[in-house]
Amino acid sequence: MTMTLATRVEDLPFLDVKDPAFSIRSPEVADAREQSWCARTPYGIAVLRYDEVQKLMRDPRLRQGSYAWPAMNDATGKFADWWSRMLLSQEGSDHARLRRLANPAFSPKLVTSLQPAFAVLANELIDTFAKKDSCEFMADFAEPYATRVICTLLGLPHEVWRELADIAADMGLALGVTFKQDIPRIDAATQKLFDYAANLIADRRARDLGTDFLSLLIKTNQEDQQALSDQEMVDMVVLAIFGGIDTTRNQLGLAIDMFLQHPAQWALLAAQPELGRAAVEEVMRVRPTITWVTREAVTDFSYEGIDIAKGTTLHLFSQAACSDPRAFPDAGFDITAERKPHFGFGGGAHHCLGHFIARGDMTEALAILARRLKNMRLGGEPKWLPDSGNTGAISLPIAFDPEV
Amino acid sequence: MRMCVDMKKCQYHGQCVIAAPDLFSFAEDGSLKWVETIDDSLRQQAEDAADVCPEQAITLEG
Repeated sequence: MTMTLATRVEDLPFLDVKDPAFSIRSPEVADAREQSWCARTPYGIAVLRYDEVQKLMRDPRLRQGSYAWPAMNDATGKFADWWSRMLLSQEGSDHARLRRLANPAFSPKLVTSLQPAFAVLANELIDTFAKKDSCEFMADFAEPYATRVICTLLGLPHEVWRELADIAADMGLALGVTFKQDIPRIDAATQKLFDYAANLIADRRARDLGTDFLSLLIKTNQEDQQALSDQEMVDMVVLAIFGGIDTTRNQLGLAIDMFLQHPAQWALLAAQPELGRAAVEEVMRVRPTITWVTREAVTDFSYEGIDIAKGTTLHLFSQAACSDPRAFPDAGFDITAERKPHFGFGGGAHHCLGHFIARGDMTEALAILARRLKNMRLGGEPKWLPDSGNTGAISLPIAFDPEV
Repeated sequence: MRMCVDMKKCQYHGQCVIAAPDLFSFAEDGSLKWVETIDDSLRQQAEDAADVCPEQAITLEG
């Protein structure tokens, strides 16, 4: 007879994820994943293996846990207040009501109709540097592309993209491990975005309402405050703008980082642009910008021999789970491989709202970039955000063969 | 109208339960339950569920 001995939490491997020098992709994490399905962290428990991440992602004994992120960082202020009110931090009937309201603005049908506009935008941006032999990928492509896609989606004037991109980048610092020290910058940006959203709503209200997302929110709010309060409306507009910019910007940079290391895969994508969608999935499997998905125990329970107390934070490590050899015995980066689903968009009730847009715009971008930037290679020293929390490149210089 | 869910694709996110609570639910054991024959009055909910499924596992016929 075999007996499963309960493991004490204090006997688990420890990962100091709070240290900005910590890397989610370090051998230390891979070693911990071999020792146990989970590890201790300064925040709680990190879940490292694929099967456990998949099951816990939708376990009803856990709630979405990011709502506690500001408190965990001892952070207060405008960003922290908004964060605690917005869709991702809500549960149950309020979450369902807000999610139902937001869903149509991000539907796959809408994305399909926008696909040609994504291609035009990608080509327009590449035109600005293709005849040279180099560019700074984040500033010259990832930022304007991610931001202007959101402008297209929400019907915002493209001229404001620079301002929105800067706001999103500053607000995005809140989702990294250096949140507390960056609060002044984060809150100044949050205030700017709230002012922008309030003006946007007032401006749209003054005109005839249409069938766009903003009009839909305004109509719902005018008809019934219970269905969408004034505060919920502006919070939702802020989320729609912020949520899509920084994540897509970072994910595109991480995609380029993967292809810089795998030039044959880049050439393959150039030759077979229909692999664009699979390329997005393979990149997000091994190099997701969202390196962990947060849950919190709503009750005491025991899981795989570990006692988990109510209130415990569990970070589901998407990158560690999706490079777990138990689930992915062939570890290589291969855009033609059949893979299990990744967790780059989270999962469960809080599965990323904008994933159809993100998948659609990144598919288009990568296929066109691969076709036009031949022989892509690193063109200088990149700068990186900490490799945990929400990660990505600050700057990423690349070189390529100039277009004739 | 008939509704099918491809359980090979389903990842149990439960977005259909949120979008169409009259048509989808989770049972006590965590399994997904759904109405297979959809009344016209619930057509919109069914379409919303099919639209929103992250895995695009829901198909509608008729």
